[in-house]
Amino acid sequence: MISEIFSDVVRIILVFILITAALTISTRTLSALVRVYSIQSFLIAILACVLWGMLQEDTLLLIAAITFAVKVILIPSFIGKIQKRINIRRDLEFNYLKPAGSIVVSLGLMLMVYVVFSRVLGNFAVVNPLFFLGAVVGVSLMLMGMLVTFSRKKTITKVMGYLSMENGVLIFGCFATELPLIVEVMILIDLIILVILTTILTVGIDSSLDEYQERLIQYHLWPSEEAKE
Amino acid sequence: MISGESILYCLINAGIILLLSPLFLTIVKKVKARMQGRQGPPLFQMYYNIVKLLSKEVVYSKTSSWIMRTTPVVCMAVMILAALFVPVIFIPESFGGIGNIILFLYILAFGRFMISLAGLDAGSSFGGMGSSREMSLSAVIEPTIIVVAAALATVLGTLDIFEMISKTSVADIATMPTLLLISVSLFLILIIETSRIPVDNPETHLELTMVHEGMILEYSGRNLALMELSHAVKQAVYMGLLIGILVPFGIINAGSLLIPGIIIAAVLFLIKGSVLAVVIGLFESSMSKMRFFSIPTLFMIAFFFSALTIIIEVFA
Repeated sequence: MISEIFSDVVRIILVFILITAALTISTRTLSALVRVYSIQSFLIAILACVLWGMLQEDTLLLIAAITFAVKVILIPSFIGKIQKRINIRRDLEFNYLKPAGSIVVSLGLMLMVYVVFSRVLGNFAVVNPLFFLGAVVGVSLMLMGMLVTFSRKKTITKVMGYLSMENGVLIFGCFATELPLIVEVMILIDLIILVILTTILTVGIDSSLDEYQERLIQYHLWPSEEAKE
Repeated sequence: MISGESILYCLINAGIILLLSPLFLTIVKKVKARMQGRQGPPLFQMYYNIVKLLSKEVVYSKTSSWIMRTTPVVCMAVMILAALFVPVIFIPESFGGIGNIILFLYILAFGRFMISLAGLDAGSSFGGMGSSREMSLSAVIEPTIIVVAAALATVLGTLDIFEMISKTSVADIATMPTLLLISVSLFLILIIETSRIPVDNPETHLELTMVHEGMILEYSGRNLALMELSHAVKQAVYMGLLIGILVPFGIINAGSLLIPGIIIAAVLFLIKGSVLAVVIGLFESSMSKMRFFSIPTLFMIAFFFSALTIIIEVFA
């Protein structure tokens, strides 16, 4: 009975995660995009807690805690800070695909993932439909993140795509295989480095090093000489 | 075979929707006004408007034909017929084809067709522009609506709206989480079909934004009252469908039909409808009008969720 309630909750959370994934593809306002990302991460943290309730594996609790600290609080607030400084509010330029097109493509991707997984995993889908659904949602989220990464033009939104890709990997890890905690921690460190690197890319990859520091000062990302005195 | 129960159903269902629809429309207006820091109209404003309009003189344009004269009546008739398809109080046995979701959609499409013709009929450039926009929008949205209907039919295993709602009213939403996805689609369709922001702006008569308002611009007196009332009924019908799918509790089955049950169901519908109207108002306040050519993105989201539902239902 209790496990039934848990699996219902898991299904509802997965549905909400899919909704956030669609929003990640179609949102154009940057602040909204960051908010969607942090909601998505929050849902994953809850998901990990619920899965802990089902499976009693303490790693899942740790994953939930780390996800909450890093992805719900740290990364969104950092990106929010960069965003304010560089003063880009909306992303209107797209490569190859406009959001409407991306949504259709992502639908095709999900279908493909379903078909491929049901062939590859065979009777896993019948034995454990909930975990099969979770794995499919995870991989689809990953592919949708990839779609965001290549269809957006601004570096900062490309990074959002990359981040949601990683969320997909995490969901897949929670469901299908047992992702070792150390891998998850390493990925998180990667993410933090990535977000820091983003400042470099967004502020100016086209500049020389001297110019780069000037720009950092100009965007108030680096304490200027006057400020020190 | 039409029984006494069916007749009772028709009277109660259509009556309640007709009675409450202006209230829901006013609640949306009120919420929007509050969000903008204004007082907003009193809750019964639309009833006063309709009563006032009914006593006003009707003026026709010189170029207009019988279409202009019949459209308000046809629209009202179509909307009342559509109101029979969505049970909000109790669920009767299916009768006479009433309840079929495909028929429901095309009855509404017929209403829209008549309004568009009427927009052209008066010969004003605004009406023509409104009709042209309405037609291009409806050409794009029709596939989406059909996919939403298909998703509903896949999840609930029936094409009959009565059966759909009787299934959701016994089952838990948790056992059918895909209904949440369909509800997102239905909500978007509710917004698009009732010409609200971000698709259309129901408040202005600016030529840049007009779709629905453009088409009914030439109407006056009791005809305008009928057009406005039918628009309100359309919104209430879609709201009733969404409520029936997402939060159907309170709707009673025909077997246990008693007066107190009907009253409780009506009050519950009033409460749920008002909450939904507040949500619509908040949604509208948080959005700005979309550029005409970016509206298909909104349709695509609705399409995405329903197609996703079908994929999940078929494969999982």
